[in-house]
Amino acid sequence: MAQTQLAILLTSIALVVIGLYSAIFIDNIIKKIIGISFIEEGANLFIVAIGYKAGGVVPILMPGMDTSWFAANAAYPLPFGLVLTSIVIGASTLAVMLALVMVLYRRYGTLSTKVMLADTSKQEEYNE
Amino acid sequence: MNELIPLMVIVPLISALIISAFSKFNKVTKIFALIVAVCLPLIPLLSNYGLHYFGGYQPILDNVTNVVYHPAITYSFTFLQQVFIAMIGILTFLVVFVYLTKYRKVSGPYLFLLFLGTAAVTAMLLTDDIFHMFVFFEILALAQVGIVAASSIDYSYEMALKYMILGSIGSPIMLLGIGFLLAITGSVNVTDIAAAVHNGLVDIKSPVFLASLGLIFFGWLYASGFPPFHTIKSGIYSKAEPHGAALLQSFTVVSMISIVLIMIRIYSSLPIFEVFIVFFSILAMILGVSLALTQTDFRRMIGFLAVGELGFIGLGIGLGTQFAITAGLFQALNEIVITALLFIGFGAIVEATNEVDTRKLGGLLAYHPKVSLMLLLGGLAMAGVPPFNGFQSKLMLVQASLSCGFPELSILAIMVSIATFVVFVKTFYVMFLRPKPNDLEVEGKEVPRSMVFAMGILLIIILALGLFPDMVVNGISNFVGGIL
Amino acid sequence: MLDFVLMIIIILSAILALIQKDLLKAAILTGFSGGALAVLFQILLAPDVALTQAIVGAAIIPVFIALAVKKTQREDS
Repeated sequence: MAQTQLAILLTSIALVVIGLYSAIFIDNIIKKIIGISFIEEGANLFIVAIGYKAGGVVPILMPGMDTSWFAANAAYPLPFGLVLTSIVIGASTLAVMLALVMVLYRRYGTLSTKVMLADTSKQEEYNE
Repeated sequence: MNELIPLMVIVPLISALIISAFSKFNKVTKIFALIVAVCLPLIPLLSNYGLHYFGGYQPILDNVTNVVYHPAITYSFTFLQQVFIAMIGILTFLVVFVYLTKYRKVSGPYLFLLFLGTAAVTAMLLTDDIFHMFVFFEILALAQVGIVAASSIDYSYEMALKYMILGSIGSPIMLLGIGFLLAITGSVNVTDIAAAVHNGLVDIKSPVFLASLGLIFFGWLYASGFPPFHTIKSGIYSKAEPHGAALLQSFTVVSMISIVLIMIRIYSSLPIFEVFIVFFSILAMILGVSLALTQTDFRRMIGFLAVGELGFIGLGIGLGTQFAITAGLFQALNEIVITALLFIGFGAIVEATNEVDTRKLGGLLAYHPKVSLMLLLGGLAMAGVPPFNGFQSKLMLVQASLSCGFPELSILAIMVSIATFVVFVKTFYVMFLRPKPNDLEVEGKEVPRSMVFAMGILLIIILALGLFPDMVVNGISNFVGGIL
Repeated sequence: MLDFVLMIIIILSAILALIQKDLLKAAILTGFSGGALAVLFQILLAPDVALTQAIVGAAIIPVFIALAVKKTQREDS
């Protein structure tokens, strides 16, 4: 089942690349933020795939299980714990970014990054 | 008394939550915040050195392979952590003090952000667990964005959003790098990973290992504001309130050294790693100083100078010998103090004149003699003039690069120091010494006394570190000898 | 077999979300991608992560984006 793991790797790389493309090249700020959430999902998927063991069992020790059999067959649970934290961090970052966008929309009346985020650099040119 | 080690993170974290929850009781909040701020530098000074295992899970020795595993999140507290955490604590105390005396009605969320940032950098310094470091790295980014967005300066929201977008591209990339390391070694504990690398369990020439270096390095560049992130970093300094900026730059310095110390322990066997660090540091030094020359907004100028000074730290660390890394870390400690002094001092000038453009200022020496004198001393310290602490650390850096066989690097460092001096003296002349322009109206506004007090304390620390550098250099040198 | 289908759903809905003109549709497609990712986590033997991802990725993030779209504008111009 190494095929599955390879496919998952490719999926996560594809998600990261799609996200990076949209975060850099798309002008609409909300789509940029959606792209950033895809980068995070790609990273999470990659880390979960590290812990996956083909043909293994869920790493929860139920009563009545043989401990040595469990140790040999269970998936590696450490990456799963890390991803839990990372998902929540990603959601909170996204919420803060959307809140800032909502405030800025009230000022500019557009979602275009070129208009919304350009003013600081314009002000700098004026200073120089 | 190792129970005090987790308290260094827990106290600011819990009190941040309490303050933001009960911020409607204005007076109580003020007193509580002040008490917590006093406690922050005291806890590391009272605590003993040692390790703390969360949950009490001791390291396990695998009898078959003779390898030690660390199952718990480990905090290691040594002299280096003590010095830096105490310095951050003192700075947080001064910033909170300036903030509390400036406003009659305090804002709970703002104090929450200040304490949250302090807790995050403290945890980043203490932790021995690379994922734990990443989590607090994200929390720190959120706190920094909040501090910038909370300021009343124009375009602060735009700058905060820009910083946040760059940050949320940078941190998943760093997470991917951590994932690569986890895939190779099966652990997130830095001691375990370093042991696996040095015992030859990991092929250091494998592309996955190199990729993890590249990805974590990218996150580090973002955290420390090296090029290509120097513009945004100096931008957030100039858009934050002055006391907030003083704290923000210390967060940057500490997160930079805590990530780079972890990277040294893991990647020190790769020669290309040190080349990378030296390259980006030199780029930061040159770009920082040359961009600072062209600025007319003096907050922006200090921001670029701070980025340039970070290059000196990177230079020392990139050279890689014990003496050089000690010099770099000592420079980091000095820069925290000096840049904080400059931000608070220039903030006091903004407060008194409501003007940030150097071309419209002049003749302020007669109005604010105390502040200008202290600013002059701070600027001299940043440029590396004896007897201040900047001189001691820069001298060490020059000696280190000479003894490593790179005289050109030491010449470059001296030239950048001279350029820093020129930038600062030019700005100082324009703002304080030349005759006052006719259209500038200096009202009889006093500089807030708390700001003068904060600057005085920082100046005392600068002088003390400059006259008696041995009291920290020896300890840092021992620490560096331990990790190499 | 199911996992390959899920991967295709994830990538397709991610690309579709980014080429929509209507931002509300983009938010809903983001939820599709997050939900499929949650099921994929379940297949990868991580039920705890799958639960969290199902809540955060399929419900919270699309709702946040939809709220932001409602407060701003719906068309991507």
